[in-house]
Amino acid sequence: MKLIFIILLLSQFAFGHEYVVVANKHMEDLSPSQIRAIFLKRLLFIGDMKAVPLNLDARDPLREKFEQHILEISFDRLQSYWTKEHYLGHRPPISLKSQESVKAFVKKVDGSIGYINIDSMDDSLKILYRWSE
Amino acid sequence: MRRFLGIFIIFFALHAHAEYELGNGIQVGSLPLYLGGYFSLNYENRADVKKYSIDDLSMLGYGTYEKFSYMAEFEFHDLYSETSVGDISTIKRDTQLHTERVYFDYSYNENYTLRVGRYNSSIGIWNLLPINVLRQTTSNPKTQNLFPNFTTGADLTYASFDDNELKINLMLENNKDIDPTYDNYNIDKLYGLGVSYEKDEYSLKVNTGYFHTTNSFDSNLYYFLISGKYDTEMYEFSSEIGRQESKNKTTIPYTAYIQGLYRFTPKHTAILRLETYDDKLKDKTDSFSVIGYSYRPSYPIALKSEYQFHTLNKDNQFLFSISVLF
Repeated sequence: MKLIFIILLLSQFAFGHEYVVVANKHMEDLSPSQIRAIFLKRLLFIGDMKAVPLNLDARDPLREKFEQHILEISFDRLQSYWTKEHYLGHRPPISLKSQESVKAFVKKVDGSIGYINIDSMDDSLKILYRWSE
Repeated sequence: MRRFLGIFIIFFALHAHAEYELGNGIQVGSLPLYLGGYFSLNYENRADVKKYSIDDLSMLGYGTYEKFSYMAEFEFHDLYSETSVGDISTIKRDTQLHTERVYFDYSYNENYTLRVGRYNSSIGIWNLLPINVLRQTTSNPKTQNLFPNFTTGADLTYASFDDNELKINLMLENNKDIDPTYDNYNIDKLYGLGVSYEKDEYSLKVNTGYFHTTNSFDSNLYYFLISGKYDTEMYEFSSEIGRQESKNKTTIPYTAYIQGLYRFTPKHTAILRLETYDDKLKDKTDSFSVIGYSYRPSYPIALKSEYQFHTLNKDNQFLFSISVLF
């Protein structure tokens, strides 16, 4: 029992936390570049389906990890990006309060995409991308 | 004018709430309507000429519904200016409200978008974000003189996203401009083609086209422009080089700039731009450098200063501006 606990503890340190970008089962496979383009509202449709990117609240640590890992852009640069997009008539993704809200939204709305902790995954969701820290 | 401004301010005040952030606009209720705007206060000092002006005061509204989106932007340009030449001072007020942009977009699918109306000509990299608060310097580069900055007509764009981004756009105008008094050329025809490619920090764009002017001696003009940009967290390098011809002669044999930008912090930026041009339409040849510095307490607020060193010494000038996007 002790050994299992130690292995689990070590694996947590070795592999860190895992996170996933998810959509419902109707979503086609997407590359990291396409996910990035969707969250920056450069790609507005996937085929004929409207893409609906979902952010977590601005202060959520997972949002910060997502923006650093997938969008590869600092907070300040992202702020300036959305200021420019405001002039061009584009809005940032909508923000939801919790990962549970993201899951519920993604299950209901085709084309929506969000990010959650892998522990929150269930069979009704499709993993588009996974990363660990 | 006052009535229009008053209605806009009342709408903005009524719908702005505690979570409002400068530079993001506000939503009107739950409607697909967002309101915003910007202004710019400028100061120029050249030889013995000094000019203070409210350069831009603009209001914009936009929204998206399903596959449709729209944009409307109205502007007072040079609303108030005071120019002093030696001891003589003149004041000008231009209260005409201009239609800067009015267009509808229809996104057919992820690849094709059709735009109809008056829009910023999608040519080069500078003309896409031409307002003072969003550009790096108060002044614009002379490459902006190659083509009409606005088009009233259609723009069909094909875009492909993968590990890179490819865009091809076709611009068409075959009618009068919605606001012919507010463009650098008064045109009634434009056929333009643009191809752009972006990968990681690099982007490259090529534009070419024809336009017909109604107010210049050489009425049939052709432009060609190549633009490139390398953009990282700290550095940005951009360059544009172009040429303009009429049927009979070369009207602008060359116009080019290369610009380097260094961000000390997100708030402090230094800019160096080297420009050269030969404009036969204005009978002027010049090479000059622009040294600039901008301070942004937050991104939608810009305080910018620059000094231009020209080979034509009389054109040396100092520019300062305060601009805000709300």
